[in-house]
Amino acid sequence: MNKAQKRNALLSGPYIFWIVLFIIIPLLFVFYYGFTDGNGHFTMDNILSIAKPEYYKALVLSLVLAVISTLICLLIAYPLALILRNTKISKKNFIIFVFILPMWMNFLLRTYAWQAILDINGVLDSFLAMFGLPSANIINTPAAIVLGMVYDFLPFMVLPIHNVLVKIDDNTINAARDLGANYFQTLRKVIIPLSYAGISSGIIMVFVPSLTTFVISDILGGGKLLLIGNIVENKVKADNLNLGAGLSLILMIFIVINMVVSMKMDSGIEEDAMLPTDKSSKVGGK
Amino acid sequence: MIKHLKRIYMGLVILFLYLPIIVLVVSSFNNSKILGKWDGFTLDWYKELFNNASIMNALKTTLILALMASVIATALGTLASLTINKMKRSTRSVVMSITNIPMLNAEIVTALAFMLLFVGLGISLNFATVLIAHVTFCIPYALLNIYPKVRQMDNNMYEAALDLGASSAQAFFKVTLPEIMPGIMSGFLMSFTMSLDDFIITHFTRGSGIDTLSTKIYTEVRKGIKPEMYALSTLLFVTVFVLLLLINRTPNEEKRRKKLAKGKKSHATLAMGMCIVLIISAVGYISFRDDSNYIGDVYVYNWGEYIDPEVIALFEEETGYKVHYEEFETNEEMYTIIANGARNYDVICPSDYMIEKMIDTDLLAPLDYNAIPNIKNIGSEYMESATGFDPGNRYSVPYCWGTVGICYNTTMIDEEVNSWSILFDEKYSGSILMQASVRDAYCVALSYLGYSINTLDEMQLKEATNLLISQKPLVQAYVIDQVRDKMIKNTAALSVIYSGEAIYMQEENPDLEYVVPDEGSNVWIDGWVIPKNSENKEAALAWINFMCDPNIALMNFNEITYSTPNIAARDLIEDEYIRNSQIAFPGESVLSRCEVYNYLGKDGDALYDGYWTKVGTAASE
Repeated sequence: MNKAQKRNALLSGPYIFWIVLFIIIPLLFVFYYGFTDGNGHFTMDNILSIAKPEYYKALVLSLVLAVISTLICLLIAYPLALILRNTKISKKNFIIFVFILPMWMNFLLRTYAWQAILDINGVLDSFLAMFGLPSANIINTPAAIVLGMVYDFLPFMVLPIHNVLVKIDDNTINAARDLGANYFQTLRKVIIPLSYAGISSGIIMVFVPSLTTFVISDILGGGKLLLIGNIVENKVKADNLNLGAGLSLILMIFIVINMVVSMKMDSGIEEDAMLPTDKSSKVGGK
Repeated sequence: MIKHLKRIYMGLVILFLYLPIIVLVVSSFNNSKILGKWDGFTLDWYKELFNNASIMNALKTTLILALMASVIATALGTLASLTINKMKRSTRSVVMSITNIPMLNAEIVTALAFMLLFVGLGISLNFATVLIAHVTFCIPYALLNIYPKVRQMDNNMYEAALDLGASSAQAFFKVTLPEIMPGIMSGFLMSFTMSLDDFIITHFTRGSGIDTLSTKIYTEVRKGIKPEMYALSTLLFVTVFVLLLLINRTPNEEKRRKKLAKGKKSHATLAMGMCIVLIISAVGYISFRDDSNYIGDVYVYNWGEYIDPEVIALFEEETGYKVHYEEFETNEEMYTIIANGARNYDVICPSDYMIEKMIDTDLLAPLDYNAIPNIKNIGSEYMESATGFDPGNRYSVPYCWGTVGICYNTTMIDEEVNSWSILFDEKYSGSILMQASVRDAYCVALSYLGYSINTLDEMQLKEATNLLISQKPLVQAYVIDQVRDKMIKNTAALSVIYSGEAIYMQEENPDLEYVVPDEGSNVWIDGWVIPKNSENKEAALAWINFMCDPNIALMNFNEITYSTPNIAARDLIEDEYIRNSQIAFPGESVLSRCEVYNYLGKDGDALYDGYWTKVGTAASE
């Protein structure tokens, strides 16, 4: 090891220390609690309890709703990102402006506002009644939870897709058109394959929080629909940390599967897929 | 044509994103406390916001936390980006994957992992623990913005600076840092935003006395969020909006790009500077208000909206203790926090069966009655019934009591309500609100079936569980304190509720009526207790004594309308109708058919919890 390498190792020390202490070790604690009972004896019961119908059903419901909301997010976000790519206002700041700004209004409040909108005799119902339409009646249903998920996580789908789309060279697209491809062929054969990295990070960023939320189902589901996140939260609240940890481990399996699948889709997520492209600094830099 | 379609599409998405924000902004000017019920324009909430100490403190904590977490995360992220770049490829990919874990893992798992780490190591949660958690989940976002800038950077520039005689520190500050500054800036902003908006991780790792806006809102969601919160959010939102406008106010022309790049940086720096100045002055303003006759702290843990806020201020004024007041939603949730030593409080207000459990698990300290002379105001019959869960009244002083019953809307129900059976009537499908807490839900089913609400008989519990499952399709929602607003807004026709809420609800909506069903129900007492690990028992005793003062108890009764066991206070109630109300002070005929909850033991709790989860995940259609 030469001097520069040594210095680098020394400088990276604090960071390595931090991530080991606060990322690796806490996860080891989850494993420890997940595989032990209240008295610290080894057990598989916590993990195997997922086979009980009540937990199994919650997991299936969570998976179904998470897949649906991820797909809806993708269907809304992709055309939007395409439109933004071709408009003059697709400056990075505008995008950040529109999609990051809502985050400054607390997300609990925003979700709660949806409750007020969708509630029986709520804002939406009054609006519909003005046109003589019947009530929407979607509060406390899976549809309301999906709406909440799409609402909360849509920006996490739009931003990564937008970031890869603006990086695609116009010449590549023009070349495809020149060679006789129509718009949809270009889209299918050129643009979409080139944006896999953005799509896959978007899918991860939406699927994971949708699968594991307990707040959205709490506020918009009326406590009638328990997701796996609610079960984990309830177990922790009911002082059953071991079962909570065991179910968390099950959740981690699904998250890892999702990540592997998404990465297969694009061999390796681009590290800066979430990053807003900054053309101006490139102009100055090189 | 297509252009218009595109515009419309974008407009719709943006409307979707901003619709709830519009609702919140409008609500901040709404006279009514209830979200979604317009009752005229007012600016009162903005005025009251600045007098609301608890919201101001939460704002202060949120801002300090976000600022510290994002500064540390950005510093660590910068250091990491610079060193990771020089690592071997294999090492680098390992470090990067570990870094990204908190971003890719479920938030609830990350949160639980932190909680287990701290609880497992016997560290009680405090500001440092929540800060560590925030820094850790902010780091990936910081790195995401900084690392690509480091990779883009031409290393020859740094080398050239060294060759020209700069020291490595000079080369770093003069060459490297300015080059990666935009990345650092956006990393900082992103971290700040994530920290500010986080709820789940804060919820699991915060210490006592540390409320952020998120955790405060979450506890308030139950009883209806205070409109001051909408006012604050609107102010925050507008501030950020203006700051971002400043940053983004850039000319369009391509040829002015270069100038723009430079101008933008100064805009960004200006905005960042303003941001920090704003935060510091906000924090300073809030801290400045802290009063001077301070002699110590007292950490209070109570049910949501279970006190007149004025009382807290009076207590602080009179005794000089600074009150850190926090709320819980269910007994079970509170117990987990205390039993695991996650947070320490000085005085708590659990219900009867939970007090019994806490005595049983040796969590409480006996009370010194010499320090509670006001105990004389508490009616002897209440002290007597409290011995059912606290033999000899050694550990608890009654605070409020009441029954569980049915609240119904007389305009929607035209039959006489006197039985739990109406909650299982298909006629009212979709108009029934059930309680979301285990014991109260089973109280309904077990009482209806004619069993004891403390039964441990598996057959009886199974029967009750099946009954609750069959009821599920009829239920509009399982809620706790939200019953109140929903009934007032005519959202539902029938609900299970505590007697204390009924009086308030009748005042707001005269169509509502409350009844304790003939089959019997639960009568409960909530009492003040002092946990064994309280660090300021003297202050806790002073608090309990203060709560037993007749005038204070009266203030609380007028505010929260839960029945007071304070005889002296009851005599002071001016409104004769309320003083003799059968809802607030039911007679012997009602009480004789009501039963008190007992602690069921660890196995009993697990049994109920297991069955309740079955109800929770049963089909609702």
